[in-house]
Amino acid sequence: MASLLQVLFDALSLGSLYALGALGIALIFGVMRLVNFAHGDVIAFSLFALLWPSTDAVAIVFAGNLPWFLLIPFTLAIGAGLSVLSELVVFRRFRRANPATMMIASFALGFVIRYFLLMLFTSRPKSIALLPALSQPVEILGARIPLLQLITILVTLAVLIGLTLFLRRTRFGLEMRAAAENFTMARMLGVRANRVIMGAFALSGALAAASALILGSQTGTANIMMGANVMLMAFIATVIGGMGSLAGAVLAGFLLGAIATVMQVILPPDARAFRDAFVYGAVILVLIFRPQGLLSARGAKERV
Amino acid sequence: MTRGTILRRTIATPLILSALLVAIAVLAFAVGSRPFNQTVIDLFLMVIFVVGLQVFVGNSGVISFGHIAFACLGGYVAAWTTIKPVLKSAAMPGLPDWLMGLEIPFWAAAIAGALWAALWAGLFGAILMRLSGIAASIATFAMLAMVNAIYSNWTSVTAATSSVVGIPILRTTWPYLAAAVIAIFIAWAYAISRHGLALRAARDEPTAAAASGVNIPRARFIAFVLSGAVMGMGGALYAHSIGLVTPDTYYLGLTFTTLSMLVVGGMGSLSGAVLGVVILSALIQGLRWLEAGVQIGNSTFALPGGVQEIGLGVVMILILMFRPAGIMGNSELSLPRRRRGGAENPGQTGPNT
Amino acid sequence: MSLLALSNVSVRYGRLTAVRNVAFTLAEGELLFITGPNGAGKSSLLRAIAGVTPPAGGRIDFADHDITGRAPEDIARLGISMVPEGRDVFGSLSIEENLMVGTGMHARTRGWRARAATELEAVYATFPILKDRRHTQAGLLSGGQQQMLVIGRALMTHPRLVAIDEPSLGLAPNITDQVYERLIALRAERKLTLLIVEQSSTRAMLAGGRMMLMRGGEILLDGDARALGQSEAMQAAYFGYGEQ
Repeated sequence: MASLLQVLFDALSLGSLYALGALGIALIFGVMRLVNFAHGDVIAFSLFALLWPSTDAVAIVFAGNLPWFLLIPFTLAIGAGLSVLSELVVFRRFRRANPATMMIASFALGFVIRYFLLMLFTSRPKSIALLPALSQPVEILGARIPLLQLITILVTLAVLIGLTLFLRRTRFGLEMRAAAENFTMARMLGVRANRVIMGAFALSGALAAASALILGSQTGTANIMMGANVMLMAFIATVIGGMGSLAGAVLAGFLLGAIATVMQVILPPDARAFRDAFVYGAVILVLIFRPQGLLSARGAKERV
Repeated sequence: MTRGTILRRTIATPLILSALLVAIAVLAFAVGSRPFNQTVIDLFLMVIFVVGLQVFVGNSGVISFGHIAFACLGGYVAAWTTIKPVLKSAAMPGLPDWLMGLEIPFWAAAIAGALWAALWAGLFGAILMRLSGIAASIATFAMLAMVNAIYSNWTSVTAATSSVVGIPILRTTWPYLAAAVIAIFIAWAYAISRHGLALRAARDEPTAAAASGVNIPRARFIAFVLSGAVMGMGGALYAHSIGLVTPDTYYLGLTFTTLSMLVVGGMGSLSGAVLGVVILSALIQGLRWLEAGVQIGNSTFALPGGVQEIGLGVVMILILMFRPAGIMGNSELSLPRRRRGGAENPGQTGPNT
Repeated sequence: MSLLALSNVSVRYGRLTAVRNVAFTLAEGELLFITGPNGAGKSSLLRAIAGVTPPAGGRIDFADHDITGRAPEDIARLGISMVPEGRDVFGSLSIEENLMVGTGMHARTRGWRARAATELEAVYATFPILKDRRHTQAGLLSGGQQQMLVIGRALMTHPRLVAIDEPSLGLAPNITDQVYERLIALRAERKLTLLIVEQSSTRAMLAGGRMMLMRGGEILLDGDARALGQSEAMQAAYFGYGEQ
């Protein structure tokens, strides 16, 4: 029972991470058909923004020493800011470009961000202690669950609820949902394209920063490559979720977390290192049978 | 247009490109400096990779982030087949006996690498080619990550993330030149083949091509396997150029470099692929030189590490912004042709529609 | 004083010219039908007016503003409401949400919420079926209901000109009758200017007003709908007789 609970929490916390990433990808894809390959690097950037540039293995924590109630908004603002900046400087000029061109541009932008970090911090992973109080375990029904895991899940739930309320209850949210479904029609109803897109970038960047905080506290390291794996899983989740469907992306994110956790448990110890390879393989198999994703969004056809 | 005329009208392109590479090789030979020689070797390797990538991306229009996985497969074939058995058994004890005892020349390893990569390209391609557009691109990225995850963890046959050393190093440019020229001719031959023409037709006019009875998934599959083979060959030779392999040698960095070269040169054009390599190699070399430091008067001026990649990324974004079809667009280098009929589109590798 | 004025407007898609040097003016309160066969360039013309496909040449003025090449949202905010072909409802949004999307354009003006609420009631009064199903996902509506929804949605922004592309497409004749009945009534009620694209001239002849015939990207005829509809010239121009 206790170990089952442990597996459940593992799955939920890993799934949370993937769901947050997938949401960040799907938000932008929904409004502008951009598969944002820079997302992983926005994640890394948000964490490194808390550190002082140095080449040491132990990070010189700078803004990271802020109390949590300042640290969290600061990090979210950094992520949102970088994301909006990338829209203003780069993606705004690709409005009429096809999705493939935008995708490659975002890939290039991701590299620019990554090597900017490398320039300041080198490629060596740095150990950091973010919110150290969170590493203590708590006991739930006989299972020892790291407090951090619990908080990860709760934070993700809070983000999901907050985002849902935002999208359902506010005018801007309504415009965003309309734009995600049919961008041109929304514009013909006076919805300002640039504002909606900028909003999507800001939200996506803030989600990236949330991922960064979770990843940073979980692993205790900052690494310029840290976003790559989450981003890849997030991509896969958005494809499985049916490109552009936000609910689909979240569900698929949790599904991937569950698959990965279950594989970790059932695979023989020798094969555990290949867990992610098995997950990718499983996903590719899913795509054969449902190339349009598990939950394909109505009206979100890919513009060819 | 009959096959013969297509052949005659387009043969100039691979010949010019090959001549360009030969000229570069001769220059390297004449200069005789070790570092320059190594730069030229790198350039030829990039030509192999980018041309290999172009065979699929250029003809199908589907962006692949995963082709470096095939280079990885090829690179490890070189490690498995050319390292001395004594070294091999220490680094990769899990290899089967017949492979453990094997020690073949580099060219045979390159061919084996190509075949091994083609085999896997066939397996992956059978699945991936059912997807289209963006989903296909993401799936290729997943494929790259999957191969990387396997090779980074399969300690007994790949030594995991540690370097596998002892691959005989080839320091002369000629084998790389030959392989690059072979890659160019393979790409050209595919582009003017029935499948290549059909695939490009499908890229430009999906509905029309579908209506004309072209089996697009099949045509894509063939391009995928062929380009996988070229990448495998390049991967094996790359291993011979540096004498070692690690999974991360063949991962995002190389993916980024090759893709940026292809984008800058022009995805739709074989000449673009080669010119993109030449131009960006020059740029990379210049930036590396600045990163290493330049003596100006008494002080040394050096750019911090990472500027090279940042510069590459910025160039790539600018090209995509202002010239999304790349330097060459969809056209090819060709000799000026005597006026015969419509010459407004000199040197197309074939009809575009 | 004309509300909408086009001069020399051309629309191109790559090498294909869909609309060729079109010029006409539309007065406030007028009802104009644009008819013509498939591929005549009618939809392209509407898309150019709405700013979705910026014209390759020429000039479009609306209510004393040059709107050539302006963004669709700016044009919508000036008072042109577009109902594109194929009833682009936001399928995953509820009916009420669909109706509310456009009202945000007035968010800077005072009392817009109250006005939006009044407007919503007015649309519900016109199309009672929408009120009954206000929380239903729009994607689940029938074709006729969707058509009413998009017309209602276009009215919500309080436009001066409503441009509708093929309101009868895919609808049963009696539903089309209903839709037209409402449109004509609305026009009288709100002094709306209506620009309606239809493939056939039958509707135009029933409704009256002005009619233009487009073919091959050009306007061939322009006149009173009833008079024009019965003329031989109309038949000839529509099918392109006697052009060889």
